[in-house]
Amino acid sequence: MSKTVLIVDDEEDALAIATLGLQMKTDWVLLQAGSGQQALDVSAEKVPDLILLDMMMPDMDGKATLAALKANPKTQSIAVILMTAKQEPLTQTGVDPEQVVTVFTKPFRPLSLADEIRTVLGW
Amino acid sequence: MSASAPSPQTVQKKAVRADILVIDDTPENLHLLSTLLNERNYKVRSVTKGVTGIRGAIAAPPDLILLDINMPEMNGYEVCEQLKANESTCDIPVIFISALGDVLDKVRAFNVGGVDFITKPFQIEEVLARIRTHLTLRRLQLEQQAQNLRLQQEISDRRRAEETFEKSFLASPSPIAITTLRDYRFLAVNPSFMRLTGYAKAAILDRTTADLKLWPEPALYQSAISQLAQGTRCESQELECRTQKGEYRTVLISLERITLHGESCVLNIINDITERKRIENEFISVVSHELRTPMHSMVGALDLLSTGELGELSEQGAQILSVATTNAERLIRLVNDILDLERLKSGETRLNRTHCNIEDLFAQTVDAMRAMADEADVTLHVQAVSVPVFVDCDRILQTLTNLLSNAIKFSLPGGTILLTAALEPDDILHIRVIDQGRGIPPDRLESIFERFQQVDASDARKKGGTGLGLAICRKILKQHNGSIWAESAVGEGSTFHVRLPVE
Repeated sequence: MSKTVLIVDDEEDALAIATLGLQMKTDWVLLQAGSGQQALDVSAEKVPDLILLDMMMPDMDGKATLAALKANPKTQSIAVILMTAKQEPLTQTGVDPEQVVTVFTKPFRPLSLADEIRTVLGW
Repeated sequence: MSASAPSPQTVQKKAVRADILVIDDTPENLHLLSTLLNERNYKVRSVTKGVTGIRGAIAAPPDLILLDINMPEMNGYEVCEQLKANESTCDIPVIFISALGDVLDKVRAFNVGGVDFITKPFQIEEVLARIRTHLTLRRLQLEQQAQNLRLQQEISDRRRAEETFEKSFLASPSPIAITTLRDYRFLAVNPSFMRLTGYAKAAILDRTTADLKLWPEPALYQSAISQLAQGTRCESQELECRTQKGEYRTVLISLERITLHGESCVLNIINDITERKRIENEFISVVSHELRTPMHSMVGALDLLSTGELGELSEQGAQILSVATTNAERLIRLVNDILDLERLKSGETRLNRTHCNIEDLFAQTVDAMRAMADEADVTLHVQAVSVPVFVDCDRILQTLTNLLSNAIKFSLPGGTILLTAALEPDDILHIRVIDQGRGIPPDRLESIFERFQQVDASDARKKGGTGLGLAICRKILKQHNGSIWAESAVGEGSTFHVRLPVE
């Protein structure tokens, strides 16, 4: 069965690039969310296999969104990969490393994104 | 008469010993005293009336007055009283000379302010002896007064200097502490220092920095102190400081050696830069995010275009797209390097030391650079030794990759690059990257380690570098207490040396 991946980023351009890159390289069902709150709503409804979650977002940032996802029994088992434009160790962000699969540092290349996801998740 | 041969008269004439005023209504007495005193080099003024004597004494105060008692109009007692009442004559010693020899007369003479009493007829030796005594007393008294004045001045100068020092010390916005050099025991601290550390004065004084655990890394403070021992002053050394509440503040510390009460002491002047560091780090963090976000979209968009799945590009179009991609990638490298250097500079990046072997690090470096070397038709030779090291392996790998990448860039096709390592005394690993490239002019050997200081300004563009690589390498080595430098012969090649303590 085809995988479902939710991409969360408040930057429209970044959202479009990641989506297009995955579209070209996979047959996955791709969902989009432009904010943390939207991400929670979509995740609860569609329960994707993976959430690509941007760290820096207004209102509800990646860290808060991650906490809310993990607090909800419906979404807590969904794999999460963080995306960040900041070069700082995960420990400095206050995120529990146990709750995320890995962190992708922007700028990453959209065409290799699919392969990197397959590698870390063993898909 | 020649000036060089003084006359016998000049030689005999001694300096005037003192200025003496004689007041006596008997001209014979006056004449006798004048003659006797003149012969002994005293300057004598004689007057026969008390009033004239007083006027003369006020106009030009003599050193001593010889005063007769029995005189018409105004007697000696009255003259003396008036002299004592006048500010400019009151301190002149007055010796009475009188035929009155009764004890009561003498007592009165002393009561009105006389210092001595000579009974007529007098012996000249006695008069001279008494004059000498009172002149000496007067001179000593004057000297004493002058000395007292000097002492008072000195005390007030010192008090003023002390007040200036005390006020500056107490009001200084910079925290200041004075400790002994022997065991860093606190002798004095100012209010700013107490505010910074959170300790009350009583909790600091007479304790050592070790007692208070003030420096979480005492070795760093020790190394600042050792700069003092070498005679240089230590300025703005960055340190962590632990407050009474256990909070950590980042401070710049400047040290100067001073001697207090015979003991060698350290003057510690501190600057709290915690807030400044926080703002700086926040700025780096924000810039890092704000620059990367648009770059991320740009590079991504170019990548997607280049697949051709969004429509075939003409050959020229593909060429233009490749120009855009290359430059976007360079921009990313530049931003990454600038941020990396900033981090290294601000000390935010602490070394992440792990155990590894230099042989493995060499292998990884060569693996990473093989493709680039092949493309440039450059051969890589490695003379590795197996030496276990305890270093930040990623950072050393970054350094080696950087050096090798430079060497490849500046090698001619067909050239060879040698990468060697040797263990030297004191557990120092000496790494060399030797190329046969175009070399570096002697005047640039040092400046290439500064930011944006390529040998040729166009190098960065042509060779795709950022101009920051060697600056980053030097910072990395500095953090490892190592060093990096270059030797070169123009046209023959360059050797980059790295000295790295194995732990």
